[in-house]
Amino acid sequence: MDKALLYLRCTVLIAAVAMLVCCSSRPSSLPSAFTEVSDSAAIYPDYRDVTIPPNIAPMNFMVIDTVADAFVADLGGVICGASADGKIDIDSTEWRSLLQEQRGKSFNVSVYAHRPQGWVRHPAFAIYVANENIDSYVTYRLIEPGYELYMQLGIYQRNLTNFDVATVYENHRDISPGESHCINCHKFQANNAERMYLHVRENHKGTVVTNGTEAHKILIKHDSIIASGAYGNWNPKLPIVAYSTNKTAQVFHYNFNEKIEVFDGESDLLLYDADRNEVSHIIRTPDHFETFPCWSADGTRLYYCDARLPKFEAQIFEAGLVARYDSLFYDIWSMPFDTVTYSFGPPQLEVDASSMNLSASEPIASPDGRFLLYSLARCGQFHLYHRDADLWLKDLQEGTCYPLAETNSKEGDSYSSWSSNSRWIVFSSRREDNDYTRSYIAYIDANGQGHKAFLLPQRDPEYNLLLLKSFNVPELSRNAIPLGQEQMSHVILFTDAELATYKGHVARSNSGNP
Amino acid sequence: MKDKGNKNKQKQKQPSEPPKAQQRRQFITNTGCEQVGVLLFFILAWLWASWWMGDVMRIAYERSFFAADATLMHWLAQKSFGWLWIIGRALLTLYHWPVVGGLLVAVLLTLGSWFTGYCLRLPSKFCWLKYFPAAAWMLWTADVGLNLYYMREPGRILGVPFLVVVILGAWAILSKVLSRRHSLSAERENKLSWISIIGQAVIIPLCFAMPMLHLQRTHRYMRPLTHMQVQLLHNDYEGMNRTAHEHPDLCNRHVAGYYAIALARTGKLAEQLFDIRLEFDTIRAYGYDGLPNQCLKYHIVDCNYHAGLYRAARHYVMEALTVDGPSLYALKYLAKIALLDSDLVLARKYFGIIRKAPFEGEFIRKYEPMAAHPELVQADPEFAAVLKAAPYRHSFEQFFLKPGFLGYYSSLKDFKTKEALEWSTVACLYGKRMPDFLQRCSQFQDSALPKSIAEGLALQAVKQPELLQIFPQLELVVNRLDFFLNDASPYTQDKERGAVELFERYKGFYPYYYYFGNINNTHKPSEEELGHNNAGVN
Repeated sequence: MDKALLYLRCTVLIAAVAMLVCCSSRPSSLPSAFTEVSDSAAIYPDYRDVTIPPNIAPMNFMVIDTVADAFVADLGGVICGASADGKIDIDSTEWRSLLQEQRGKSFNVSVYAHRPQGWVRHPAFAIYVANENIDSYVTYRLIEPGYELYMQLGIYQRNLTNFDVATVYENHRDISPGESHCINCHKFQANNAERMYLHVRENHKGTVVTNGTEAHKILIKHDSIIASGAYGNWNPKLPIVAYSTNKTAQVFHYNFNEKIEVFDGESDLLLYDADRNEVSHIIRTPDHFETFPCWSADGTRLYYCDARLPKFEAQIFEAGLVARYDSLFYDIWSMPFDTVTYSFGPPQLEVDASSMNLSASEPIASPDGRFLLYSLARCGQFHLYHRDADLWLKDLQEGTCYPLAETNSKEGDSYSSWSSNSRWIVFSSRREDNDYTRSYIAYIDANGQGHKAFLLPQRDPEYNLLLLKSFNVPELSRNAIPLGQEQMSHVILFTDAELATYKGHVARSNSGNP
Repeated sequence: MKDKGNKNKQKQKQPSEPPKAQQRRQFITNTGCEQVGVLLFFILAWLWASWWMGDVMRIAYERSFFAADATLMHWLAQKSFGWLWIIGRALLTLYHWPVVGGLLVAVLLTLGSWFTGYCLRLPSKFCWLKYFPAAAWMLWTADVGLNLYYMREPGRILGVPFLVVVILGAWAILSKVLSRRHSLSAERENKLSWISIIGQAVIIPLCFAMPMLHLQRTHRYMRPLTHMQVQLLHNDYEGMNRTAHEHPDLCNRHVAGYYAIALARTGKLAEQLFDIRLEFDTIRAYGYDGLPNQCLKYHIVDCNYHAGLYRAARHYVMEALTVDGPSLYALKYLAKIALLDSDLVLARKYFGIIRKAPFEGEFIRKYEPMAAHPELVQADPEFAAVLKAAPYRHSFEQFFLKPGFLGYYSSLKDFKTKEALEWSTVACLYGKRMPDFLQRCSQFQDSALPKSIAEGLALQAVKQPELLQIFPQLELVVNRLDFFLNDASPYTQDKERGAVELFERYKGFYPYYYYFGNINNTHKPSEEELGHNNAGVN
């Protein structure tokens, strides 16, 4: 017993000494003497000169300097120290006070590094704090970047005001034959997480549709429908969803600066009535590919992408299509929608990308009705894999289209979601390494100008460098999903999907292809 | 301590005995015998784990990944028994050096055996029973073959024995604390039991002989295969070639794949591909679903990468990462392929992750500077060879025959290098696609014919004698072909017997392969084995 007590004492003593050593290597005040250096501090993530929402979580970052053994950062008076790993961990209370003080203004960040010859100070950079908050939650899927197989998938909801992450649903951690299923494409109605849908593929297939804490699984299946709903969008006012139904395939490039091409062999548009569990065709055409439907802010217009099937001669349709994949140019069209009769009017061209031999995809209307955000690339509609993909904005009042030059990067920037106040977007970008998709946040000012985007902050700034998964389909919402993980699991795993009733074609006041 | 106490008592009881005789008497007791047995077991276990199973475990280590980082191990920690698999993976890292890893295994097995004997209070004459759990574990490692680490969690290899040792150790300590009378009497310990001696003399060697024999009987390919893989890690292509030639009658798809890599890298593909038996025995292995599986993707990344199809290699290694979680094997390939693709930031990401794994400094030191100086990629012999063999036109992986590697070359029609022409021609020979083979041969008219190609042409000359005029150098081969056809004629109805009986005389001779090689290759990969299950767009 005496020996055990001795060991315990020794352990406590060693731990205390170790803690003291650790603490002492993390400075807690600004150095009194230092040398100014002209080179900017290498920081990750790049938070220089970004505009941030006043309710965002602490933007912890790491200083990359192999020579220095300690760091201090001065964030507008908030002092944070870091040991040799360079990880600046900002106190959340101080951070929140700072952002409230600086709302609508900016503050400087100075980084000091302790090198063998003494302390140095790098040139300061600014962080601008916008007046407008961002919606508090972003929901995303974590998945390995590309390729055909999936294993451990999860949809998670991150509280943007802190680092809390709630699991919405995870498929399976262990391989279990007959249980394998893919989950994807979650979407909220008008940034309200009370109403959402979530697709499940392969086993347990169906679409989970929620309304508050109620959820049920439905199945869209009919001989005339290509496949169950894929890319969809809730009407902001009505309990209806516009879906695309796609026959999707992916191919792998050899000797090309992109790795994968995802294309549709067929696609049409569907309208799903969530209250009646009824589905009908909006557009069904053999020689046109329609996809990525999206409602206007008031729910009276439907935007969608449309491409004409390129001409080719091939015995095998898919092989011919693959060979002409770079001739698939999508334009963005819209149709008026009568919210009483549920009928559509004649289509009109919104973004003419094909005339420039470009392709527009993933349109999403701002909740204030002013802008239409979309991605533009050299071809196709799955711009996640296109290195040249950029975010563009159409000013729906002026009718002008322009790129978000400050927000875009050299690598692919694509799938986006608006904050409910139309001042923030979260989007998918491969700008860091051209492989792993990460969620970036950007400020869109009242004039429709995009500001420099910043990476979704993490408690451990190294997290994104170590994570071997991509952040997929980021969706902003004002509130948290009320449905718990267990309820979601129960609906997905243990309830049968109700087959949606097929009701033919939606009425068109002026039918015909665009 | 107990033993010492007992010995002291004996000393007091027999004061008149001469010291030497006393020492000898003390040694030749059951305790002494047991100690010798334990020592012998430990040494044999170390030999078995480091020499016999060293390469197998080294590859298990490569197919595993451990880092003391919560983010990186999160995926595993959340699985059932994840904490145990993490411990198992941590222990497996010592197999970076098989001698050290073997030492750890020997310690675990010996401790486990000792604890077993202690906890079960085995009578001295049956002390050899304590080795049975260790023997069972060794037998299991031999029985599972590739499933030791492939399509199964590698952390269980050492995680399970570690847990058993901990439990037995805790049991032993509790027994010791709770029951002070646990130790066996001095009288019992000192009575020499011939059953004990014979039992140990028989059982201890059997503990190792059984798993060794079982491995040789059921998974004979395992040691040569993993040895070739270890040689590939060190870019020892000549060594791989030697290993394959040391076992010419042993062949499965995996061994053939690594053999082809070695030949391709040493420029001997057209000379020696048919030197080994290319019959592709069925292996006993199981997929994730528990159903028999030929593990066709086991070697496909290595093969594609070394054939220049590094994008296809990336495709499959990313799938392995997705399904099995991170492994050093996958991460190293992803880092190297990112360098080849000039994705330097991506390469740095992977180097950052690999750096978190212990003992991988050598890999980092070799390749990480290339992310800062891309010109070093071209200068590296391995990368230069891969880039030289890489496709030079834009195309899609789906347009070529599966599996990649030689399948890709067999469908090539234009060639940027002499090697590509040679590989493509040999791929046609391998597939016995003689019209395609002849098409490619026209480009060899003005150059020396590699051995297999000459033999293939000679075989075709039987039907098309004009080939002898186009390729006069075939005369020498034709003579041997005549002998072969004469010898082969009795076996036209029984090719399997012919394959066996003619192998020694005609191995490496293409007509032998044409008529008798690859005849049992009836296994066609199912859609599932080709990885089309769980398919989707991510």
